[in-house]
Amino acid sequence: MAALAAPIAQARTAPFTGAHAVVRALEAQGVEYVFGYPGGAIMPVYDALTGSSLKHVLVRHEQGAALAADGYARVSGKPGVCIATSGPGATNLVTGIANAFLDSVPMIAITGQTPTPLMGTDAFQEIDTFGITLPIVKHSFVVRDPADIPSVFAEAFALATAGRPGPVLIDLPKDVTQASLAVPPGIDQTGPAPRRKFEQPGAGAIANAIALIEQAKKPLLYVGGGVGIAAAEQALRAFHARTGIPAVATLKGLGAIPTGSENYLDMLGMHGGQAANLAVQESDLLIACGARFDDRATGKLDTFAPNARIIHFDADPSEISKLRDADVSLIGEMTAILDALRPARLDIQDWRDHCAAMKTRYAPRYDAPGSGVFAPALLKALSEQAGDDFIATCDVGQHQMWVAQHCRFSRPQAHLTSGGLGTMGYGIPAGIGALFAEPDATVVTITGDGSIMMNIQELATIKRYRLPLKIVLLDNAQLGMVRQWQELFFEENFSEIDLYDNPDFAELARAFGIEAFTVDRRSEVPDAIDRLLSARGPILAHVRIDPRENVWPLVPPGAANSQMMEA
Amino acid sequence: MTADIVIDFTRSEGAVLRLIGQVERRGFEVTSMTMAEHGAGPARLTLGVAPRDASRSFDTLSRHVAKIHGVTSVRAAERAPFMERAS
Repeated sequence: MAALAAPIAQARTAPFTGAHAVVRALEAQGVEYVFGYPGGAIMPVYDALTGSSLKHVLVRHEQGAALAADGYARVSGKPGVCIATSGPGATNLVTGIANAFLDSVPMIAITGQTPTPLMGTDAFQEIDTFGITLPIVKHSFVVRDPADIPSVFAEAFALATAGRPGPVLIDLPKDVTQASLAVPPGIDQTGPAPRRKFEQPGAGAIANAIALIEQAKKPLLYVGGGVGIAAAEQALRAFHARTGIPAVATLKGLGAIPTGSENYLDMLGMHGGQAANLAVQESDLLIACGARFDDRATGKLDTFAPNARIIHFDADPSEISKLRDADVSLIGEMTAILDALRPARLDIQDWRDHCAAMKTRYAPRYDAPGSGVFAPALLKALSEQAGDDFIATCDVGQHQMWVAQHCRFSRPQAHLTSGGLGTMGYGIPAGIGALFAEPDATVVTITGDGSIMMNIQELATIKRYRLPLKIVLLDNAQLGMVRQWQELFFEENFSEIDLYDNPDFAELARAFGIEAFTVDRRSEVPDAIDRLLSARGPILAHVRIDPRENVWPLVPPGAANSQMMEA
Repeated sequence: MTADIVIDFTRSEGAVLRLIGQVERRGFEVTSMTMAEHGAGPARLTLGVAPRDASRSFDTLSRHVAKIHGVTSVRAAERAPFMERAS
């Protein structure tokens, strides 16, 4: 990876401004990377950046900045910081902020704003960023006094990471960042705010949960993204190992329990495995860990786990009984809760054996007919060969589900996917962020020919910073997931899914200065994986696949998870 | 079925919008509203709310409102059904 440009020493004897306070506040929070794009109203901050220790990553579109910050945050566990100017710069951040909100990713989004006297006058590049983002942030600030900058930033970082993480927006009017400011006493001491402590559930709730677990004949762990967010995967694995309770995971829960583990079944939900979905339907106790009963996981809610009592752990009290009433709720630090759950006796060997038999019976097959590339087999082999350093960053569509179904994940940070918002264009920027967070990881973006065009400009960012991102582009010359749904649920009325006139993706990558090659046949896959994994710089594998290939199994919309469709 | 949601919060830019927006986005109609100021910082907003469909719970709404930064307390009280005396 190329080193970022060293900060340019400030020779000027410029006054200390609000912009300097912004930079100093970010430094005080331990921020290393900022993903952004300059413009008019944020220019004072960019001016101050040149004298700072912050490393700015110049993307080619503000959406790329927000999504790269998201990827950085998911892998590093630290808040991702993105920055843009007012107006279109800010609105271009919106999708990335929403993505972070729905997937509970800590993020600080900094936007320039027109000077305060002009706010509310429809000034050039004025938009109500604060108002636009109200529904998609954990909190937001408009800073009207430069003296407030240190405390606002300290509070923003504390809020972004506390409890259930999320994005916090700081809108900075230009006159505030331009204003001269006497250095407030203690500005350099406004360090990272301590993470807020949870109140822990009482002994009674723990005892009730243990009692339910001991009574259950068919208990099942339902693992969500909250486990990785809480960094509770070790406690979860210990609980899973000492109880032997079978487990399923949501899309965002993948990797919390390594996907090859004993008594781990599969992903549940719309494109979940049959064994996982059937186990949920048969279970008599569902232990939901950091999962939120999302509709993609539950299918038709009133048919989901119809015989199960519910124990629900979550950091966010508002998730408890939001969609499914909990018999026991445990709100607090997940590691402590899991460590406290020590049932004395479990009589579930028959259930374990039944789940294991279902897992074998419904295991995916990779012996597809023909000589074309079978994407699930490619992805399985790629993830296995990449090993424990593998990080997949996905776009959205069929390939996203194939990754979830077939890749091997050994940790939650290994699977970066836009689970809540479903943002096409997430994969490449998230891969950029992941590489800044963990430069030695084997980061692979798996994308489709629809998704890659959503943020194709970020190939220039990869080239600029010589990021060794490996891109697998599964090209079926169609919007594959939409086509699949039109085939299955719209009587094959194929409407606006044909991408026959895609560019030559390998040539396009080369135009950005990125090594690229095309794969057409199954026999070429082993060499292609070798080439991808051995490349020292960025590389794109353009893989042509059969446009008729569908993602199986599939729970039809509005159906119960027991009503899966198969090929 | 309607309820009064009584929210105590610290005044800050956008706080009232944030509270009302949360209520609307979580599937409730705001049917009435009163706000009182208590000293320099704290304020109380009382919202009459009605669920837009039967699946919405006042308890869940209260928890969603309570987690908004700056909210210090939330209380929900269901209103007794309106009874008209037969003449």
